[in-house]
Amino acid sequence: MLIETIKDKDVVNAIARSISLSFSAGILAFLMGTPLAYLLARKNIIGKKIIEGIIDLPIMIPHPVVGIAILSLAGRNHPIGRFLSDVGIQIMGTRTGILCVLLFVGLPFYVNTVKAGFESVPVRLENASRTLGAGAFTTFMRITFPLTWRHMILGIIMCTARAISEFGAVVIVAYHPMTAPVMIYERFTAYGLKYSQPIAVWLIIISFIMFVILRMLSKSIKQ
Amino acid sequence: MIHLKNINLTLPSFALKDINLHIQKNDFFSIIGPTGSGKSLLLEGIMGLIPFSSGNLILEKKDITTLAVEKRNIAIVYQDFALFPHLNVSQNIFYGVPYHKIPKQTAQKKFDSLVSTLGLEKITKRFPTNLSGGEKQRVALARSLIINPNVLLLDEPFSALDPVFHEEAKLFLKKIHEELGITIIMVSHNFSDVLYLANKGAVIKNGSVMQKGEIISIFEHPNSKFTAAFVGMKNIHPICIQNGKLAIKNNNIRIITSHKPSKTDNTMGIRPEEISLIASSSSYTVKNRFHGKIKSITSNGIFLLVHLQTQNFQFEAIWPRSYLRDHNLDIGKIVTFGFHAESVHTF
Repeated sequence: MLIETIKDKDVVNAIARSISLSFSAGILAFLMGTPLAYLLARKNIIGKKIIEGIIDLPIMIPHPVVGIAILSLAGRNHPIGRFLSDVGIQIMGTRTGILCVLLFVGLPFYVNTVKAGFESVPVRLENASRTLGAGAFTTFMRITFPLTWRHMILGIIMCTARAISEFGAVVIVAYHPMTAPVMIYERFTAYGLKYSQPIAVWLIIISFIMFVILRMLSKSIKQ
Repeated sequence: MIHLKNINLTLPSFALKDINLHIQKNDFFSIIGPTGSGKSLLLEGIMGLIPFSSGNLILEKKDITTLAVEKRNIAIVYQDFALFPHLNVSQNIFYGVPYHKIPKQTAQKKFDSLVSTLGLEKITKRFPTNLSGGEKQRVALARSLIINPNVLLLDEPFSALDPVFHEEAKLFLKKIHEELGITIIMVSHNFSDVLYLANKGAVIKNGSVMQKGEIISIFEHPNSKFTAAFVGMKNIHPICIQNGKLAIKNNNIRIITSHKPSKTDNTMGIRPEEISLIASSSSYTVKNRFHGKIKSITSNGIFLLVHLQTQNFQFEAIWPRSYLRDHNLDIGKIVTFGFHAESVHTF
């Protein structure tokens, strides 16, 4: 049954879609979350606690609520939605929409992990580098990045892992194209346990492999 | 060389107030003060990490008040050394070279000379985690010196070192300053280190300069109770001056000074190590002589702190343990003690 399931093109596509979109969300979190995490770790900006609260929000609130919130923002009735529509970006029922949701739920895991990484680098190292003639960006590339890249990889994996498991928000924003969790839900409700189980097993195997990598990386960080 | 003109720096909970300092080329200048006095904040301002609220910072006739940190060529050795943990010793030392247009050969020569002067030959491939405190400090020094900084800042250079390395580090710093003729600004709360290393300095308290000038002059002629206590003076008491003569307030004890106290002077101080026992047969070069008994003897670390009571007044003296043993001194013993007129400082 397991082999048959993995031969099913729809299943492969759904799992591949889940993994590729989740990994894309991890990469986007790296690009967007790194400057944000640095800012939160290093600067005393006004409203810092509020920003941190907003970042943590997706961890706390029920995920269908996240989906509804994204749909409301991206709808025709909202200026953001109108702007997105004008520039040709569709959220509802698209890969973009799924990516948007996955990034939203995964970003807190990336930002919090990398922020802790930046906080573990003493500011004095950056200051010493600058007094030796290196500019702010060069200092980041030569000092801060080499000391925190493991946290960034860990953050990407955590964000990706979290994104793979996302169901509640995705099902509201984009039932189609189907991600693995949505397909498991659909097969379960339409055909029962027997048909949903193999997909679930495949997803568990993949998630398990990802978490093993995560454990290995976190071990090397401790060392 | 480096001139701090009317510097003010206001933070929500602290402020540096109207700092004026002039540091000459090749000076070993020390900013001295207790913890929380604003010394390190002043260093951060000089480095450019925190902008001054007002005032000007002039380096070799150029106003660098708003110049970026990396363009000032002012290097620092932090108290925890701030070595880059992912780079080995030689990579740490070479770190700043690419930003100073130093030809490769010149940099290599300078590297070899610094490594040899600072005794780092055997550890150039090691990483900071495998170095002792003293080695870390020497690497940090080499890393700063290879770029020929205009000024080298030292932030409490001995506070993170074991006593063994402390003495060694003092000797290295003295040697480097003498051999390279570099301008150094050192922040310290230990006056003994300052006295050994620095030629000039400023005492700072709550963000204001209390006294500045030659270190030896600050040591010998503190101008306030605070500075006097900070440079290790004891026997600090209020005085009154009658007909140009000095007496301890509310007491009949008269003190002979070598100078005429100024009318505004209201306090005196005597270094505790300058009070000594006087043998009855000794000459009368010691003008201030008292007869009294040893009230208490307490340990002051290596030395002993002895309270000597005469009439209703107590003097504090610091004597070596052997001194008490040799003179067979103990609590309650009646002794003659005194100090020279030159030992009395008034402010």
